[in-house]
Amino acid sequence: MKGVLKKRLEPVESVWVIAATTCLSIFLALLFGGLLFIPFGANPMEAYGALFAESFTTWRGFGFTLVKATPLILISLGTIVAWRTGFGYLGFEGCLLIGAATATWVSLETVPNGLFGPLPFPIFILLAITAALVTGGIWAGIVGVFRGRFGGNEVITSLMMNYVAIFVVQYLVSGPLRAPGDLPQSPRLPRETWLPYFLEGTRAHSGVFIALACVLVVWIVLLKSKIGYELIVTGLNPKAARFGGINVGSRQIMAAFAAGGLGALAGLVEVLGVHHRLLDGLSEGTGFIGIVAALLGKLHPLGAVIASILYAGMAVGADAMQRKAGLPASIIFIVQSLIVLFILASDLLRYYTLKFPFFRTPTTPSVPPEKPEVKPIGT
Amino acid sequence: MSSPYLSAQKIVKRFPGVIANNQVDFTVNRGEIHALLGENGAGKSTLMQILYGMYQMDSGKISIEGKQRHIHTSKDAIKAGIGMVHQEFMLVRRFSVVENIVLGMDSDGITGNLTRARERIRDLSKTHGLHVDPDQVIEHLPVGAQQRVEILKLLFREAQLLILDEPTAVLTPQETAALFQVLRHLAEQGHAIVIVTHKLHEIMSVSDRVTIMRDGCVVSALETRNSSENQLAKLMVGRDVSLRVTRSVRPRGKPILKISDLHVTDDRNQKAVTGIDITLHAGEVLGLAGVDGNGQSELAQALLNLRAIQSGQVKMADVDLTHRSPAEHHRNRLAYVPADRRHVGALMGLSIARNVILGSHGKYASQFGLLDEKKINRFAKELVRRFDVRPSDVDYMAGKLSGGNLQKILLGREIMRDPLAYVIEQPTRGLDVGAVEAVWREILSERDAGKAILLISAELEEILNLSDRIAVIYEGRIMGIVEAGDASIEKIGLMMAGVLPDSEAPEIRR
Repeated sequence: MKGVLKKRLEPVESVWVIAATTCLSIFLALLFGGLLFIPFGANPMEAYGALFAESFTTWRGFGFTLVKATPLILISLGTIVAWRTGFGYLGFEGCLLIGAATATWVSLETVPNGLFGPLPFPIFILLAITAALVTGGIWAGIVGVFRGRFGGNEVITSLMMNYVAIFVVQYLVSGPLRAPGDLPQSPRLPRETWLPYFLEGTRAHSGVFIALACVLVVWIVLLKSKIGYELIVTGLNPKAARFGGINVGSRQIMAAFAAGGLGALAGLVEVLGVHHRLLDGLSEGTGFIGIVAALLGKLHPLGAVIASILYAGMAVGADAMQRKAGLPASIIFIVQSLIVLFILASDLLRYYTLKFPFFRTPTTPSVPPEKPEVKPIGT
Repeated sequence: MSSPYLSAQKIVKRFPGVIANNQVDFTVNRGEIHALLGENGAGKSTLMQILYGMYQMDSGKISIEGKQRHIHTSKDAIKAGIGMVHQEFMLVRRFSVVENIVLGMDSDGITGNLTRARERIRDLSKTHGLHVDPDQVIEHLPVGAQQRVEILKLLFREAQLLILDEPTAVLTPQETAALFQVLRHLAEQGHAIVIVTHKLHEIMSVSDRVTIMRDGCVVSALETRNSSENQLAKLMVGRDVSLRVTRSVRPRGKPILKISDLHVTDDRNQKAVTGIDITLHAGEVLGLAGVDGNGQSELAQALLNLRAIQSGQVKMADVDLTHRSPAEHHRNRLAYVPADRRHVGALMGLSIARNVILGSHGKYASQFGLLDEKKINRFAKELVRRFDVRPSDVDYMAGKLSGGNLQKILLGREIMRDPLAYVIEQPTRGLDVGAVEAVWREILSERDAGKAILLISAELEEILNLSDRIAVIYEGRIMGIVEAGDASIEKIGLMMAGVLPDSEAPEIRR
């Protein structure tokens, strides 16, 4: 690489440069991914056109995009809160499943002879949200306590907890919550507890408003409040935080609770908005894609929303493309991965400039400004 | 003199936005010790790194013994006879001296070479007075000996020009004197030696010639014996400076901070502080002198409970703070200015405004827990104005500030909190002369306002200039506490090396 990359004196911080390199990365990923269409005899331009047309210009497709984006936004918010506090949590799959199970249980109990009896929807949804926040918070909070109190490695414990959550859901759908029938899944939830659809003729459910409300809350709490300041300071520099009188351990546990709660809300919207029952294999990696979306959004709530919608749109478009044109959706997943790869690589440009020695004709060194006149002082 | 050993002509090196070296001319002769003097950012490191092949110059010419040489890598530099001892030693801690010295040399077979190398190292250390046992493991050697290994490494590679970057930063005055003797001897043997430094008295005592750089240009190159400390300081800074501060004599006030029988361990769980007793009084600066790494940082961190205290007690006024949280230390008006400005004191990724509220951010929250940006900005602007921080834009990222301006913020932040006592650690490390002046002024004005100040510094000059009493720390113990009037460099230096000035043994409190 020597000769091609030249280290910058200081990294570029300008928002515009970062935005430009991000856009360039996406473009390059689409370009390279486009080559994969050629063996199928398809025109990459048309394929991409169809892809984005489906997910962003058709009413129905856009509805699907919102449905897919909703849990991603929530997971990415959880990631932002956790990671900005220096808590490298990766257990969002688990949180999502725990939140889904909790919402299912609350919903199934909201029937005439259930634990809660019939409730008006607003009260039900508040109850379900609270319950999911609590269980998800505790789920991630356990890892937070391991980290904050005992210094355990949260990356490993949180990944392992994902498997625990998967098996908890398997247990629930084949045991306590199993519906009569052959399939390991819970009974269908009562229709009154579904999140209402709000776009005529689409599957878009009002869970998206829960997600957007969370965006607002995270934005304000994290970037405008005292608690958020303490969280960010803890994440940037635990030593400075301790020095500043911030209780680092308790802030990390707090971040873990919040992240877990947000992850659980992703499970809630999936169950109450999409599947309407608890089933095995509910999450399909959403808990990880949400982390990617947060990273692509540079751990900023707004960036995460944009990245989530982009990712959701590509997933929806990929399905449509496979159905309609017979092109494998996996190409789009490759493109998604390439986007991540290129954006991560583009960070290099913040620290290095490119120079092309083979293109540059040797020139005489430009004359530096004249040396300032300095008179020796004294003898 | 005849033709110089090394001559660099019209060296230009640009970095984006700055010209680090602007038409720099620099010559060194065989047989001389040449000091390169300049403030931080004056371009001296850049120049040396160009000579050592770590940077490429944009234009200019380097010739050695009259022949032009192209130095693109450190390997070229070594081949040309140039060697460099970096401020941070480049030694493998787990390797022995001889292994470190042969490391990286083109060799034919290792085992046979080691025996021969050992012999040569013995010879070299005998001829040059660099006492080192070739079979010792580096991590068991004191810093002074590690430095000797670095010098031996260069001599082993037959370097003719030796560049030493801030060689005395980690040494006691006695070790410094020994080093200078070695350098003198090497010069007499015909080596050319460059020391990069900002310590004027060292230049006066050891160098033959001095080149002064400012803002990327060579301001002057002169014979040391024809110059004076004041003249050098003036050339370096570009204006008159007086680094002598006037310190009024004040009666000592009542005791504020009491440290009794404190025991603290370091990161590797080794004893770092073993039974320290210090009482800090109102209106005094108590200087804690000592070579870096003798438990000073651990002591400072323990005082704020940023590091666990094994046993002992820290009392502020009459409140026992030993195991209280750092926040309670703040509440009881004990302030701390850490040595590691960039990693402990400040949040490099946040703005000045966000940095100045650290520690008192609770005061800037409204009843809903939201930060009051207006109030924060007002406070930040006031601090920036009062302590003359540049740039004065409070949204400026703290990570981009110069060391001096960052220190003004950290010190200012604590001063604005109006504490009763301060623990100030290495307050001027790496600062420009101008900034040093400003920091010293602030420290003394706090003292005159009746505050108690524990000043921890490895710079003896700083300690002697500011302190009312001087305590010397060695291997985690206080060797003794001396009144400023009775202190001399020699006496403090001996104590820093662990030797008690036995005959008089004044005021040794254990």
